[in-house]
Amino acid sequence: MSAIEELITELARLPGIGRKTAQRLTFHLLQQPAEQVGRLAAALTGVSERVRACTECGNLTEEQPCAICRDPRRDPAVLCVVEEPSAVSVVDRATEFRGRYHVLGGRLSPLDGVGPESLRIAPLLERVDRGGVREVILATNPSMEGEVTATYIQQLLAGRGLRVTRLARGLPVGGDLEYVDGVTLQHALSARQEIG
Amino acid sequence: MRAERLTVRGFRNLADLDRELPSAGAALLGRNGQGKTNFLEALYYPVLGRSLRAASDAEAGRLGGPGFQVEVRVAGGDGPDRRAHAVAVGFQASTRRKRIAVDGADVDRTADAIGHWVAVAFLPSDVGLAAGSAVERRQYLDRMLSLADRGYLVALTRYRAALAQRNSALRQGRPELAQAFDPPLATAGARVVRGRIAWSDGAASAFRDALASIDELGEGELTYRGRSELADADAWGPVLHEARAADEARRTTTVGPHRDDVALAIGGRALRPYGSTGQQRSGAVALKLIELATLRDACGFEPALLLDDVFAELDRERQRRLAERLLTGRQVFLTAPRRDELPENLDLEVWTVDGGVVR
Repeated sequence: MSAIEELITELARLPGIGRKTAQRLTFHLLQQPAEQVGRLAAALTGVSERVRACTECGNLTEEQPCAICRDPRRDPAVLCVVEEPSAVSVVDRATEFRGRYHVLGGRLSPLDGVGPESLRIAPLLERVDRGGVREVILATNPSMEGEVTATYIQQLLAGRGLRVTRLARGLPVGGDLEYVDGVTLQHALSARQEIG
Repeated sequence: MRAERLTVRGFRNLADLDRELPSAGAALLGRNGQGKTNFLEALYYPVLGRSLRAASDAEAGRLGGPGFQVEVRVAGGDGPDRRAHAVAVGFQASTRRKRIAVDGADVDRTADAIGHWVAVAFLPSDVGLAAGSAVERRQYLDRMLSLADRGYLVALTRYRAALAQRNSALRQGRPELAQAFDPPLATAGARVVRGRIAWSDGAASAFRDALASIDELGEGELTYRGRSELADADAWGPVLHEARAADEARRTTTVGPHRDDVALAIGGRALRPYGSTGQQRSGAVALKLIELATLRDACGFEPALLLDDVFAELDRERQRRLAERLLTGRQVFLTAPRRDELPENLDLEVWTVDGGVVR
């Protein structure tokens, strides 16, 4: 396989990138100065060599444990459980949550060969059993599998004297009712809240 | 409900087309294998975002082609908001991705596209509704109730997803993992069973009346056959517990609406094993009449009707009666090999289909 062909094939493996885009990217890179391409290559190598899962929470980090787990201003008594590392930065940037995280690394899906042993569920229980955790917030995705995963973990946590909570589901703020999909609207209706 | 324009690209053997549709509908004539049924299939695709022949999306694309695109523009006046809409389904073969769009905007869930274009299709193979296995009757129920009731479709989709995960875990010999999927299976499954039972309560007398109206001797009976207690989500726990040994042994979920059936009988004799060919055909026609009525009641307008060569096997008198009942007051697209096989006094534009080209 030629070098060009090899790069196109590798780029086309990336999510959201088809063969045409991979080709465009390859030819774009070929037109760049060598040092710029070198920086990209070095950045890719650096990511794959230096970034690891945090031994404590499973988030991606270059240092052990990660910055969030080391931060003394964060409340170690509240754990927010998410499916993927990408969710950590989303929740952290968008909310005022100042507890710590626990990344599962996926959700239960027998069809994809993912059972509880493939997820970081055992390390979660260890963290809880070490003491000092008061609340676990289950922030898995609101998909069927995400909910099953949350329920599964909730059952394992039962009887450990913890508060276990789940993110609420409902209407997006600042949206227009007309554009909300039916399923979300149904959830919002069933979980409606008393006012005044 | 009337479609006013159909655009088709890369679909089966059909030549790409973009044409206005008469508000009364049209009759399509052509020899076998020319593409008459493919035209109906394309027209039906945006109804549920999939084939009416239970074919996969890939099969519906032109052989060896890059995929297909079908769009139906629906006239205003009917529909959930009485506005005109365009419903499109596109399938890309290389990525195996399907996109469904309403008025140009992609929808995340098929459920959000449903109801903008509603039609009932009647194919010769539909005699299987009475003569075939329970699978065909469940497909009939699921297709009809998904169109009539959005909540049903949402629950059905969730039920199928939970069932697939649960069965996968059972196949892997992991019953404890399978059990994790019991809660969504129960809540979604209960909703599916409730929808089916509510329908069958009304359909029992409708089936009797429909058979009488097409001159079938002997009283028709329709009953939902399944565990009706599963209409209550709380009943699932004990039932699944009881089925555990069987589930583990057979490595699949042995209870739930995916195992249910609709029992049909004429004059006290079950249609599938004992009905004559004529009775089975009448039973299928009756179910189709009920489908039309169910959708009319649920949507508040007449669905369009797609008839694929269904008059050929009826005698002239039955043709006349069925035509009287079906062909007025709604948009109809029907196919036949020859003009003399169309019902008499048919007041539709006649098109011909030849080698995939509609003229």
